[in-house]
Amino acid sequence: MIIVTGASRGLGRAIADRLLSAGHSVVGIARNTEGLDFPAYACDVADAEAIKTVARSLRSSGEKVTGLINAAGIASMNLALMSPAPQVDRVIRVNLMGTIHCTQSFTPLMVRQKYGRIINFSTIAVTLGLPGEAAYAASKAGVEAFSRSFAREVSAFGITVNCVAPGPIGTDLLRGVSQGQIEKIVDQQIIRKQFQPSDVCDVVELLLDGRSNSLSGQVLHVGGA
Amino acid sequence: MDSKSLEELFFQVLSSVLGSSRGTLGLEDQLMGGESPIDSFSLVEICVQLEDLAVEAGFEFDWTSDSAMSHSRSIFHSVESLQTEFLRQFLESIG
Repeated sequence: MIIVTGASRGLGRAIADRLLSAGHSVVGIARNTEGLDFPAYACDVADAEAIKTVARSLRSSGEKVTGLINAAGIASMNLALMSPAPQVDRVIRVNLMGTIHCTQSFTPLMVRQKYGRIINFSTIAVTLGLPGEAAYAASKAGVEAFSRSFAREVSAFGITVNCVAPGPIGTDLLRGVSQGQIEKIVDQQIIRKQFQPSDVCDVVELLLDGRSNSLSGQVLHVGGA
Repeated sequence: MDSKSLEELFFQVLSSVLGSSRGTLGLEDQLMGGESPIDSFSLVEICVQLEDLAVEAGFEFDWTSDSAMSHSRSIFHSVESLQTEFLRQFLESIG
Protein backbone atom coordinates (compact mmCIF):
# COMPACT_ATOMS: atom_id res chain seq x y z
CA MET A 1 0.00 0.00 0.00
CA ILE A 2 1.27 3.46 -0.83
CA ILE A 3 0.01 6.51 1.08
CA VAL A 4 -0.43 9.67 -0.94
CA THR A 5 -1.20 12.92 0.82
CA GLY A 6 -2.87 15.78 -1.01
CA ALA A 7 -4.55 13.07 -3.06
CA SER A 8 -7.68 14.96 -4.04
CA ARG A 9 -6.12 17.27 -6.61
CA GLY A 10 -2.98 18.59 -8.25
CA LEU A 11 0.17 16.52 -8.17
CA GLY A 12 -1.10 14.29 -5.38
CA ARG A 13 -4.13 13.30 -7.45
CA ALA A 14 -2.03 12.75 -10.58
CA ILE A 15 0.38 10.54 -8.61
CA ALA A 16 -2.43 8.55 -6.99
CA ASP A 17 -4.03 7.96 -10.40
CA ARG A 18 -0.70 6.93 -11.93
CA LEU A 19 0.03 4.47 -9.13
CA LEU A 20 -3.46 2.99 -9.32
CA SER A 21 -3.03 2.54 -13.07
CA ALA A 22 0.24 0.76 -12.42
CA GLY A 23 -1.55 -1.69 -10.13
CA HIS A 24 -0.48 -0.30 -6.76
CA SER A 25 -2.79 -0.22 -3.79
CA VAL A 26 -3.19 3.45 -2.85
CA VAL A 27 -4.71 5.14 0.15
CA GLY A 28 -5.18 8.87 -0.10
CA ILE A 29 -5.22 11.59 2.48
CA ALA A 30 -6.90 14.89 1.69
CA ARG A 31 -8.99 17.49 3.42
CA ASN A 32 -11.81 16.76 1.00
CA THR A 33 -12.16 13.18 -0.20
CA GLU A 34 -15.52 13.56 -1.92
CA GLY A 35 -15.55 12.03 -5.39
CA LEU A 36 -12.32 10.07 -4.97
CA ASP A 37 -12.60 6.60 -6.47
CA PHE A 38 -9.98 5.02 -4.21
CA PRO A 39 -9.74 4.57 -0.42
CA ALA A 40 -8.98 7.85 1.31
CA TYR A 41 -9.07 9.54 4.70
CA ALA A 42 -10.46 13.04 5.08
CA CYS A 43 -7.79 14.69 7.16
CA ASP A 44 -5.65 17.82 7.37
CA VAL A 45 -1.94 16.93 7.34
CA ALA A 46 -1.28 19.90 9.63
CA ASP A 47 -3.28 18.14 12.35
CA ALA A 48 -0.78 15.81 14.03
CA GLU A 49 -3.36 14.02 16.16
CA ALA A 50 -5.63 13.34 13.18
CA ILE A 51 -2.67 11.90 11.26
CA LYS A 52 -1.84 9.63 14.21
CA THR A 53 -5.41 8.35 14.12
CA VAL A 54 -5.05 7.54 10.42
CA ALA A 55 -1.80 5.69 11.15
CA ARG A 56 -3.55 3.60 13.83
CA SER A 57 -6.32 2.73 11.41
CA LEU A 58 -3.84 1.71 8.70
CA ARG A 59 -1.86 -0.38 11.17
CA SER A 60 -4.98 -2.22 12.28
CA SER A 61 -5.86 -2.94 8.64
CA GLY A 62 -2.79 -5.17 8.54
CA GLU A 63 -1.88 -4.17 4.98
CA LYS A 64 1.81 -3.48 4.45
CA VAL A 65 2.71 0.13 3.82
CA THR A 66 5.59 0.32 1.35
CA GLY A 67 5.55 4.00 0.46
CA LEU A 68 4.60 7.47 1.62
CA ILE A 69 4.28 10.33 -0.82
CA ASN A 70 3.93 13.65 0.94
CA ALA A 71 2.36 15.64 -1.86
CA ALA A 72 0.00 17.80 0.20
CA GLY A 73 1.00 21.42 -0.14
CA ILE A 74 -0.20 24.94 -0.52
CA ALA A 75 1.42 27.88 -2.23
CA SER A 76 1.85 31.47 -1.20
CA MET A 77 2.81 33.58 -4.18
CA ASN A 78 3.20 36.87 -2.43
CA LEU A 79 6.03 39.19 -1.48
CA ALA A 80 7.16 38.31 2.04
CA LEU A 81 6.64 41.91 3.16
CA MET A 82 3.01 41.69 2.07
CA SER A 83 2.23 38.23 3.41
CA PRO A 84 -0.13 38.22 6.40
CA ALA A 85 1.25 36.22 9.32
CA PRO A 86 -1.63 33.69 9.32
CA GLN A 87 -0.93 32.95 5.66
CA VAL A 88 2.77 32.35 6.30
CA ASP A 89 1.89 30.25 9.33
CA ARG A 90 -0.49 28.08 7.30
CA VAL A 91 2.11 27.55 4.54
CA ILE A 92 4.67 26.37 7.08
CA ARG A 93 2.16 24.19 8.93
CA VAL A 94 0.86 22.41 5.83
CA ASN A 95 4.03 22.13 3.76
CA LEU A 96 6.65 21.55 6.44
CA MET A 97 4.80 20.40 9.55
CA GLY A 98 2.38 18.31 7.48
CA THR A 99 5.31 16.47 5.92
CA ILE A 100 6.90 15.95 9.31
CA HIS A 101 3.67 14.77 10.99
CA CYS A 102 2.93 12.25 8.23
CA THR A 103 6.51 11.00 8.15
CA GLN A 104 6.60 10.55 11.93
CA SER A 105 3.29 8.72 12.03
CA PHE A 106 3.60 6.51 8.96
CA THR A 107 7.28 5.54 9.02
CA PRO A 108 6.82 3.01 11.88
CA LEU A 109 4.50 1.14 9.51
CA MET A 110 7.50 0.71 7.19
CA VAL A 111 10.04 0.01 9.93
CA ARG A 112 8.17 -3.23 10.66
CA GLN A 113 8.98 -4.75 7.29
CA LYS A 114 12.41 -3.10 6.94
CA TYR A 115 11.45 -1.51 3.65
CA GLY A 116 9.93 1.72 2.55
CA ARG A 117 10.03 4.67 0.22
CA ILE A 118 9.33 8.19 1.41
CA ILE A 119 9.02 10.86 -1.24
CA ASN A 120 8.65 14.46 -0.17
CA PHE A 121 7.97 17.50 -2.28
CA SER A 122 10.14 20.54 -2.56
CA THR A 123 10.34 23.16 -5.29
CA ILE A 124 12.79 24.65 -7.70
CA ALA A 125 12.15 27.93 -5.84
CA VAL A 126 14.44 26.71 -3.03
CA THR A 127 17.44 26.55 -5.34
CA LEU A 128 16.59 29.58 -7.45
CA GLY A 129 15.50 31.86 -4.60
CA LEU A 130 12.53 33.18 -6.50
CA PRO A 131 10.98 36.49 -5.43
CA GLY A 132 7.38 36.27 -4.26
CA GLU A 133 7.87 32.74 -2.97
CA ALA A 134 9.87 33.37 0.21
CA ALA A 135 7.48 31.69 2.65
CA TYR A 136 6.73 28.85 0.26
CA ALA A 137 10.43 28.31 -0.48
CA ALA A 138 11.26 28.49 3.22
CA SER A 139 8.73 25.76 3.98
CA LYS A 140 10.15 23.58 1.22
CA ALA A 141 13.75 24.25 2.23
CA GLY A 142 12.69 22.89 5.60
CA VAL A 143 11.30 19.81 3.89
CA GLU A 144 14.63 19.26 2.11
CA ALA A 145 16.62 19.62 5.34
CA PHE A 146 14.23 17.35 7.21
CA SER A 147 14.44 14.76 4.43
CA ARG A 148 18.24 14.69 4.39
CA SER A 149 18.47 14.14 8.14
CA PHE A 150 15.59 11.71 8.29
CA ALA A 151 17.11 9.67 5.46
CA ARG A 152 20.06 8.94 7.75
CA GLU A 153 17.79 8.12 10.69
CA VAL A 154 15.91 5.38 8.82
CA SER A 155 18.46 4.00 6.38
CA ALA A 156 19.13 1.06 8.70
CA PHE A 157 15.51 0.01 8.22
CA GLY A 158 15.76 -0.16 4.42
CA ILE A 159 13.79 3.05 4.06
CA THR A 160 14.85 5.70 1.57
CA VAL A 161 13.83 9.34 1.78
CA ASN A 162 14.07 11.65 -1.20
CA CYS A 163 12.61 14.91 -2.43
CA VAL A 164 11.17 15.75 -5.80
CA ALA A 165 11.53 19.43 -6.61
CA PRO A 166 9.51 20.48 -9.64
CA GLY A 167 9.60 23.77 -11.45
CA PRO A 168 6.27 25.33 -12.44
CA ILE A 169 3.91 22.45 -13.21
CA GLY A 170 0.43 22.99 -14.59
CA THR A 171 -1.64 22.49 -11.44
CA ASP A 172 -3.91 24.61 -9.23
CA LEU A 173 -0.85 25.71 -7.31
CA LEU A 174 0.06 28.00 -10.22
CA ARG A 175 -3.32 29.70 -10.18
CA GLY A 176 -2.66 33.43 -10.19
CA VAL A 177 0.82 33.14 -11.66
CA SER A 178 1.03 34.78 -15.08
CA GLN A 179 2.35 32.96 -18.13
CA GLY A 180 5.15 35.54 -18.29
CA GLN A 181 6.25 34.73 -14.74
CA ILE A 182 6.11 31.00 -15.48
CA GLU A 183 8.30 31.47 -18.56
CA LYS A 184 10.84 33.45 -16.52
CA ILE A 185 11.17 30.56 -14.09
CA VAL A 186 11.29 27.95 -16.83
CA ASP A 187 14.13 29.92 -18.44
CA GLN A 188 16.18 29.34 -15.27
CA GLN A 189 15.78 25.56 -15.40
CA ILE A 190 18.50 23.47 -17.01
CA ILE A 191 15.89 22.07 -19.37
CA ARG A 192 13.93 25.11 -20.52
CA LYS A 193 10.53 23.54 -20.79
CA GLN A 194 7.43 23.60 -18.65
CA PHE A 195 6.91 20.06 -17.43
CA GLN A 196 3.59 18.41 -16.74
CA PRO A 197 2.21 16.40 -13.81
CA SER A 198 2.95 13.21 -15.80
CA ASP A 199 6.67 14.11 -15.80
CA VAL A 200 6.60 14.41 -12.02
CA CYS A 201 4.77 11.06 -11.82
CA ASP A 202 7.63 9.53 -13.86
CA VAL A 203 10.18 10.71 -11.28
CA VAL A 204 8.01 9.44 -8.42
CA GLU A 205 7.77 6.02 -10.09
CA LEU A 206 11.52 6.05 -10.58
CA LEU A 207 12.05 6.62 -6.85
CA LEU A 208 9.51 3.94 -5.93
CA ASP A 209 11.22 1.44 -8.17
CA GLY A 210 13.35 -1.23 -6.54
CA ARG A 211 16.27 -0.14 -8.68
CA SER A 212 16.56 3.14 -6.77
CA ASN A 213 17.61 1.40 -3.55
CA SER A 214 20.86 3.36 -3.55
CA LEU A 215 19.19 6.78 -3.70
CA SER A 216 18.42 8.44 -0.39
CA GLY A 217 18.63 11.95 1.01
CA GLN A 218 18.57 13.41 -2.50
CA VAL A 219 16.64 16.21 -4.14
CA LEU A 220 15.64 15.51 -7.73
CA HIS A 221 14.82 18.67 -9.69
CA VAL A 222 12.27 18.14 -12.41
CA GLY A 223 13.63 20.26 -15.22
CA GLY A 224 17.01 20.60 -13.52
CA ALA A 225 18.31 23.43 -11.37
CA MET B 1 -3.90 -9.94 29.70
CA ASP B 2 -2.72 -8.71 33.09
CA SER B 3 0.10 -6.28 33.82
CA LYS B 4 2.40 -9.05 35.06
CA SER B 5 2.15 -10.92 31.75
CA LEU B 6 2.59 -7.67 29.86
CA GLU B 7 5.73 -6.89 31.86
CA GLU B 8 7.19 -10.24 30.87
CA LEU B 9 6.33 -9.63 27.24
CA PHE B 10 7.94 -6.18 27.50
CA PHE B 11 11.26 -7.81 28.34
CA GLN B 12 10.76 -10.40 25.62
CA VAL B 13 10.54 -7.52 23.13
CA LEU B 14 13.82 -6.13 24.47
CA SER B 15 15.42 -9.55 24.12
CA SER B 16 14.17 -10.12 20.60
CA VAL B 17 15.54 -6.76 19.43
CA LEU B 18 18.77 -6.71 21.40
CA GLY B 19 19.62 -10.39 21.26
CA SER B 20 22.45 -11.42 23.53
CA SER B 21 23.25 -7.82 24.53
CA ARG B 22 19.89 -7.73 26.38
CA GLY B 23 21.60 -9.65 29.19
CA THR B 24 23.73 -6.66 30.10
CA LEU B 25 20.84 -4.19 30.13
CA GLY B 26 19.51 -3.17 33.53
CA LEU B 27 16.42 -1.21 34.52
CA GLU B 28 18.52 1.88 35.22
CA ASP B 29 20.28 1.85 31.86
CA GLN B 30 19.65 4.87 29.68
CA LEU B 31 17.85 4.35 26.39
CA MET B 32 19.05 7.57 24.78
CA GLY B 33 22.21 9.60 24.83
CA GLY B 34 25.90 8.89 24.92
CA GLU B 35 25.72 6.56 27.91
CA SER B 36 23.06 4.32 26.44
CA PRO B 37 24.24 0.79 25.68
CA ILE B 38 21.78 0.53 22.79
CA ASP B 39 21.69 2.47 19.55
CA SER B 40 18.81 4.64 18.39
CA PHE B 41 17.85 2.21 15.63
CA SER B 42 17.30 -0.55 18.18
CA LEU B 43 15.24 1.83 20.30
CA VAL B 44 12.96 2.61 17.35
CA GLU B 45 12.57 -1.09 16.70
CA ILE B 46 11.72 -1.72 20.35
CA CYS B 47 9.05 0.98 20.25
CA VAL B 48 7.52 -0.37 17.05
CA GLN B 49 7.39 -3.86 18.55
CA LEU B 50 5.88 -2.47 21.76
CA GLU B 51 3.21 -0.83 19.58
CA ASP B 52 2.38 -4.25 18.15
CA LEU B 53 2.39 -5.83 21.59
CA ALA B 54 0.03 -3.12 22.83
CA VAL B 55 -2.40 -3.81 19.98
CA GLU B 56 -2.38 -7.50 20.95
CA ALA B 57 -3.11 -6.46 24.52
CA GLY B 58 -5.95 -4.22 23.38
CA PHE B 59 -4.51 -0.74 23.81
CA GLU B 60 -2.59 1.91 21.88
CA PHE B 61 0.96 2.60 22.93
CA ASP B 62 1.83 6.22 22.11
CA TRP B 63 5.57 6.77 22.19
CA THR B 64 5.56 10.10 20.34
CA SER B 65 3.54 12.18 22.76
CA ASP B 66 4.84 15.35 24.43
CA SER B 67 5.64 13.43 27.58
CA ALA B 68 7.60 10.85 25.59
CA MET B 69 9.89 13.53 24.28
CA SER B 70 10.07 15.73 27.36
CA HIS B 71 13.64 15.91 28.58
CA SER B 72 12.77 15.98 32.26
CA ARG B 73 10.32 13.06 32.26
CA SER B 74 11.07 11.33 28.97
CA ILE B 75 9.87 7.76 28.74
CA PHE B 76 13.18 7.06 27.02
CA HIS B 77 15.21 8.09 30.05
CA SER B 78 15.78 4.48 31.06
CA VAL B 79 14.53 0.95 30.57
CA GLU B 80 12.51 1.42 33.74
CA SER B 81 10.84 4.64 32.57
CA LEU B 82 9.84 3.02 29.28
CA GLN B 83 8.49 -0.02 31.08
CA THR B 84 6.60 2.18 33.56
CA GLU B 85 5.01 4.26 30.79
CA PHE B 86 4.12 1.19 28.76
CA LEU B 87 2.34 -0.37 31.73
CA ARG B 88 0.77 2.97 32.68
CA GLN B 89 -0.82 3.29 29.24
CA PHE B 90 -2.07 -0.29 29.52
CA LEU B 91 -3.59 0.30 32.96
CA GLU B 92 -5.13 3.56 31.78
CA SER B 93 -6.76 1.74 28.87
CA ILE B 94 -8.47 -0.77 31.14
CA GLY B 95 -9.55 1.97 33.53
